[in-house]
Amino acid sequence: MANTATKSQKIRRSLPEAWFAWALITPAVIFIGVIVAWPLFETFRLSFTDARLGGENYVGLENYAELADSRKFQQTIVRTFYWMFLSVSLKLVLGLIGATLLNAAVPGRALFRVLVMPPWVIPMAIGMIGWLWLYNGAFGVLSGTAQHFGIIDKAFEFLAYKQSAFYSAVVADVWVGTPMVTLFFLAAMQGVSRDLYEAAWVDGAGRWYRFRRITIPQIMPVIVSMALLSAIFTFNSFEIIWILTEGGPRNATTTLIIDTYKTAIGNFKFGEGAARAVVIVVLLAVFSLIYLFFLNKVNKHYGVK
Amino acid sequence: MATLDLKKISKSFGEAKVLHDIDLAIRDKEFVVFVGPSGCGKSTLLRIIAGLEEATEGAIIIGGDDVSKAHPVERGISMVFQSYALYPHLSVYENIAFPLRVQKMEAQELDARVQKAAGILQLTEKLQLKPGQLSGGQRQRVAIGRSIVREPSVFLFDEPLSNLDAALRGDMRVELSQLHRNLDATMVYVTHDQIEAMTMADRIVVLNGGRVEQFGTPMELYHHPQTKFVAGFIGQPNMNFVPATISQVAASGVSVDLDCGGSLTLPVEPGSAAAGDRVEVGIRPEDISTGEGINLNVTVLERLGGVTISYGTLNDGTRFCAALDGVATAKEGEPVGITVDPAACHLFDASGSVLRRKNAPVLAS
Repeated sequence: MANTATKSQKIRRSLPEAWFAWALITPAVIFIGVIVAWPLFETFRLSFTDARLGGENYVGLENYAELADSRKFQQTIVRTFYWMFLSVSLKLVLGLIGATLLNAAVPGRALFRVLVMPPWVIPMAIGMIGWLWLYNGAFGVLSGTAQHFGIIDKAFEFLAYKQSAFYSAVVADVWVGTPMVTLFFLAAMQGVSRDLYEAAWVDGAGRWYRFRRITIPQIMPVIVSMALLSAIFTFNSFEIIWILTEGGPRNATTTLIIDTYKTAIGNFKFGEGAARAVVIVVLLAVFSLIYLFFLNKVNKHYGVK
Repeated sequence: MATLDLKKISKSFGEAKVLHDIDLAIRDKEFVVFVGPSGCGKSTLLRIIAGLEEATEGAIIIGGDDVSKAHPVERGISMVFQSYALYPHLSVYENIAFPLRVQKMEAQELDARVQKAAGILQLTEKLQLKPGQLSGGQRQRVAIGRSIVREPSVFLFDEPLSNLDAALRGDMRVELSQLHRNLDATMVYVTHDQIEAMTMADRIVVLNGGRVEQFGTPMELYHHPQTKFVAGFIGQPNMNFVPATISQVAASGVSVDLDCGGSLTLPVEPGSAAAGDRVEVGIRPEDISTGEGINLNVTVLERLGGVTISYGTLNDGTRFCAALDGVATAKEGEPVGITVDPAACHLFDASGSVLRRKNAPVLAS
């Protein structure tokens, strides 16, 4: 006993606690440094250059000035937020409806719970190729069915027109994003105490009243967190748009992330692309901060312990 | 008028039958407690009265109307849940007002009712707080407040005190009894705690295995338990059961030979008992005093000051508990002589039914 005590004292003398703490976090620090901090710093540095394949020169704020003057870029920002709000709202509403249905005591609901998963589970590229075929004018099911019922009189190429391409991309994005939202909401709903519903029912509250005054407030913190997560995913959603339209037609589906990719990777304008990436980081950071502030208020309001 | 009659209520969950032909007639303004061990069906019976479960068979009649298929609101009942079931996101005020909001009650009347309930339950200061900021006892009061604003004719309580600590439980028992007097309403209360049952009830329903063992006033249950189960359930510490054989049956009583040695003549109605029958003598620990007659080999003593609870075995190995004098000279590990007044003993036949005592205390009820 005394022996161990002296031994551990010796170790403590030779290895101060601070060192040990550093030893524990060093791998994480290195990891974050290489994976996050360095690329971020490098992007930031590049955004002040005219970096391209041939080399790079320091150009100061020129890239940002160009973006600030560009009407096209402003439109892209507005479009990105519109895309995000529309898609996230739809995902939340559909997720809420889906979760409510899946939470209902119906026979075989375990099967339905599995059936909502595929859009989320199958590789995004494969899902999107499916949607490409659905949206195809000459061979697509949507165009064909609409013609069959006489809604349209000739083949309609969904992805060929500015408006229809944008909303088609939204639909595909919602299709991919809804299952996760649904399952999170379902999990939250299952955590709501049964007693609350029974008490409300005994007091005469109807189905809709119970949903509005118990379910929604009880899962509100999850709704709000899910909305933030989903917003960030949607804001940065790349594959869906890229596979469906590559940002076209005539930039109708070009969001910030698509624009950045096209500039930096497509046209090898690394400097200009980096400036766009920095704008994205700043926008998302501001958005998240406002959101977290709001989330805190919601949590307080709804009495989350 | 809110009498509550249960007619041949049965309930099955699939194959398992949890309630068997329950017949009860609860009077207006009566405080009735359902008591029994866990799994005896008491909560299920309460939920059937509330309308949260449907009885497989039978009818529920409140104030003369058959409400077996009616919604809880139409039944005129309200219920307090074991978990309180308060809405954590709503203030105390809104929690209490919830049933009235559902009815879309006009604001002035609603406020008056909530304030009145808060007044009765001493919650006026707490109305703007959230349930999470309240103590257990206060939450309990909010739950009660929510049940009284609707002014129902029957209150149902599902083990409302089991989440509170012992001291608070004692206080709340008194408060609930007062509330019953103030509200003058019919109350049905479920508990597994026989002390709650004894202290609060006008009448107690003892349930066991989905059947009513006995329905009566606390003192009836204590002095005239009809079955061995009721006798063992009511009273603290529990009644002792001493195996014995009937030696002689006379009009004045039944004489038994105790397995542990000694004999007693109990003044009970003999009924169909005959010499040679195996029986059990029920002896309450509090009816025992030190003396000569039976040997109790003490293993553990609990000295509470006023009384000394002595646990041990009789000579034949039967476990036995006696509440002796506070200053009794008993010692752990040593035998002590005890004696019992035969008139205070209960006699149960082999099926667990009691042979009615002749000289039990007359009840003033």
